[in-house]
Amino acid sequence: MPEPFLNEDQRDALQEVANLAMGQAATRLARLLDSFIELSVPRVKLVAVSEAADALREMTGIDDTVSAVRQGFRSDIKGEALVICRSDGVQQLCSLVNDPYARSSYESVSQKELMFDVANLLTGACVSSILDQLGRTPVFSAPGLLGDAMTLDEVFQPGVLQWEVALLVEVNFALEDQSFRAHLVMLMAEESIRHMNGALDELLSSL
Amino acid sequence: MSLPIVIADDSLLARKVLTKALPPDWDVDVSYASSGREALGLYREGRASVMFLDLTMPDMTGYQVLEALQHEDLNTFVIVVSADVQPMAQSRVRSLGAAAFLAKPVTPEALLHTLKEYGLYA
Repeated sequence: MPEPFLNEDQRDALQEVANLAMGQAATRLARLLDSFIELSVPRVKLVAVSEAADALREMTGIDDTVSAVRQGFRSDIKGEALVICRSDGVQQLCSLVNDPYARSSYESVSQKELMFDVANLLTGACVSSILDQLGRTPVFSAPGLLGDAMTLDEVFQPGVLQWEVALLVEVNFALEDQSFRAHLVMLMAEESIRHMNGALDELLSSL
Repeated sequence: MSLPIVIADDSLLARKVLTKALPPDWDVDVSYASSGREALGLYREGRASVMFLDLTMPDMTGYQVLEALQHEDLNTFVIVVSADVQPMAQSRVRSLGAAAFLAKPVTPEALLHTLKEYGLYA
């Protein structure tokens, strides 16, 4: 398989496109969590799915378990978005938003719900906004929980996800003094990456 | 004499989008900065009567540039251009001396409105 590749201009453009998408996601997340969200520029990286676990570990420093939510998107650029957070990060986020039932017997339910809310919002805002800026209108399938305490190797194990290429978008949200990090990964087939690169070139040459 | 302006953003795409949104007949001399430090350098050379400033840049963020400008004579008109449109981000940059705030992606209409509002373009 040829290496998935973004040239420097394409990477810059995709990073700025992701930056705009994040701005929209942050506004919505700030409303959901009733807190000011500090943003940093999302770093983007394209890797083969077989290398995704290592690349993500290197980018994020995650070596404990994660929660992962998956959601498919379709247009001529199609694939599956994964939102990944540290399992204990979700727990922390839960107490941070002062969820009224965080200490009750419904704890696990509410963590799962919060994870779904965050994932849904990030995927909705980021993936839609990225594809919208590239002139596409994606259709989403229903989100599903891949797991709430899995290792990155388990997330990307062969056979679970059918895609060839992973676009890693490092999404850093910090709120108040605590930092909560969520990571968005867009998994796509090579053909979709080619469409995406073409769309980025078009965007750049239109200016 | 043309009005010296600076467009400070680490993204080439963002610099292009903003350049394209400038009124075509606005008589300006544009300099570009891809980092906060470069933007500050251009300001000190007198090339920034107006500065379009991104907030998230490596080495020196837009917030840090605003803080540094406050320790100088602040002889520039800073228009913050950001994808972060949370109300608190806007009030924070205004309290640091920014004159105006434009949401990314910048449209020619929004830019024109801001320039006219502050009498920078007739």
